[in-house]
Amino acid sequence: MARIKLILLVVCIPALPLAVYSATREIPVDKRGSRYIKLAVDLSELRIGGEGPAALFRSVLKKDLQRSGWFTIAERGGGTIAVLGSGGVSGGTLRVRCRVRNTLTGKDYLTGTFTERGMAGRKLAHTVADAIVLAIKNVRGIASTRIAMIGSHGTQKDVYICDADGGNFTRLTRKGAVCIAPNWAPDAESVIYTSFHGGFPDVYTVDLATKSLKRIASYPGLNAGADISPDGKSIVLTLSKDGNPDLYIMKRRKNRIVRLTRTRHAAEASPSWSPDGDEVVFVSDRSGSPQLYITGLTGRDQRRITFRGSENVSPDWGPDGRIAYSSRREGRYHICIISPRSLAGKRLTSEHVDHEDPSWAPDGRHIVYTQTAGYHSDLYILDTMGDPSIRLTTVKGNWYSPAWSP
Amino acid sequence: MKMSVRYCLKVVVIGCLCGIISAGCRTGRGKKGAGIVGGERDLAPGEEEFVLSERFVEGRRVTDVIFRNVQFKYDSYQIGDYEVSKIEEVADYMRRNSRANLICEGHCDERGSRVYNMSLGESRAHAVRAYLIGLNIESSRIQTRSYGEEKPLNAGHGESIWQLNRRVEFVLYR
Repeated sequence: MARIKLILLVVCIPALPLAVYSATREIPVDKRGSRYIKLAVDLSELRIGGEGPAALFRSVLKKDLQRSGWFTIAERGGGTIAVLGSGGVSGGTLRVRCRVRNTLTGKDYLTGTFTERGMAGRKLAHTVADAIVLAIKNVRGIASTRIAMIGSHGTQKDVYICDADGGNFTRLTRKGAVCIAPNWAPDAESVIYTSFHGGFPDVYTVDLATKSLKRIASYPGLNAGADISPDGKSIVLTLSKDGNPDLYIMKRRKNRIVRLTRTRHAAEASPSWSPDGDEVVFVSDRSGSPQLYITGLTGRDQRRITFRGSENVSPDWGPDGRIAYSSRREGRYHICIISPRSLAGKRLTSEHVDHEDPSWAPDGRHIVYTQTAGYHSDLYILDTMGDPSIRLTTVKGNWYSPAWSP
Repeated sequence: MKMSVRYCLKVVVIGCLCGIISAGCRTGRGKKGAGIVGGERDLAPGEEEFVLSERFVEGRRVTDVIFRNVQFKYDSYQIGDYEVSKIEEVADYMRRNSRANLICEGHCDERGSRVYNMSLGESRAHAVRAYLIGLNIESSRIQTRSYGEEKPLNAGHGESIWQLNRRVEFVLYR
């Protein structure tokens, strides 16, 4: 008996380090039957710390890597990926030199020096995090992106932006009026939205650097739901100047306007450009309830794409071709995605609260949306690959209508 | 002589063909589905009388008369039979006060997409405006403005409050 135990022990001993090895190096995340592996990143050899911008850099980098969805942060010596290097502040500049290495293969994904004037530790961390994501996963990172939204305090509803991690909250409009539905310009330098500060709902852009406003559309009646095309040359929006809310395309430089829908007994709303700029998805109630339709740019070939749920609204056409939208099912609004060609779709949320206004991140993986429970609204970020949702807004007030920057 | 007659005929025929082709191009504006060649007016059939004119700027808000709001069912901009008398009252006032101008202001309850509610509120406003035009009120005297769900009468919740908020208000200037 003792001999058998001894043999078993001898056999098992080599298995132990293997078990420990896999426990510290990889964490499989199992979700709905699909399995993907997060890589463990060891930051302990990145010698940057102390106080001020350097410490901020380190903590923001750690969170950015986690929020990308691709990585976990490993204990010292336990990561598949190691980030080595050093950094600090000198002469008013924050400088970080780092090397990103695969500890199993010895391969270097990335070596480089990153600097940021004015010692902006947060911004530099976003830059480095995105560089790491790109080097290892060959996909776009979202750490340097921003999210626009409406913040509501009493009767004032203004446009705000923040970093994708919820930091750097900035108020963009200050007219003491109601603002609605912000969307980003493709160069991410301005935000287009609807405001009532002129007495009627009109479309404006606000420049992020100067905060200066430019009026884009103030036709009689409604001007709303504007979205700028991927090439920046056109704006699709809802106007009611011809007697009914319909979709129009404004060609910016040519100063021309083209009518897309002509439904006298129906209302259109919420247009969103396809990533190739050849089609627009929008909401129409021509069937009796608000549903999603897709049209080409001549307005001739319009087709309905949603057939489940009592209402389907707020579409956002994502970078990989899938459309996110809000669908009313069993009395609550839920975020769904649909592929416009096959019409294959999936519901992404399940809690018994309202989930509305989805907006895709440029990584084609994360979606920011408004969650309303007990009539209070906050922004949350969901992961289409199954990680749990994270709350984005923690500042007091109601936050809604998010738009993720390009 | 024969040669020049044939030549003239050729010129005339070609000239006519060119005329026909260019005439076809000029009428492209009114054609259904010719969306790309959009002009000033790209209207669906029967829409001409409902086109909005420029927003008016003069006049003072009429406050000595109160007009009842037109109410609507959920997700609808149909004008119910019981609402018609409210619109007729306003038509009456506008006939007696020829200098009065009107903004039909459309609103929704808080449920649903904010952006779709802007269009829904606008549809409600246009429905009331169309009814007034049908009562022979001059279309240039009536503007529309939608607030969607942004300006509820009552910021509370529940069916009876939502019902109050689904409305078109009459904002008169004189």
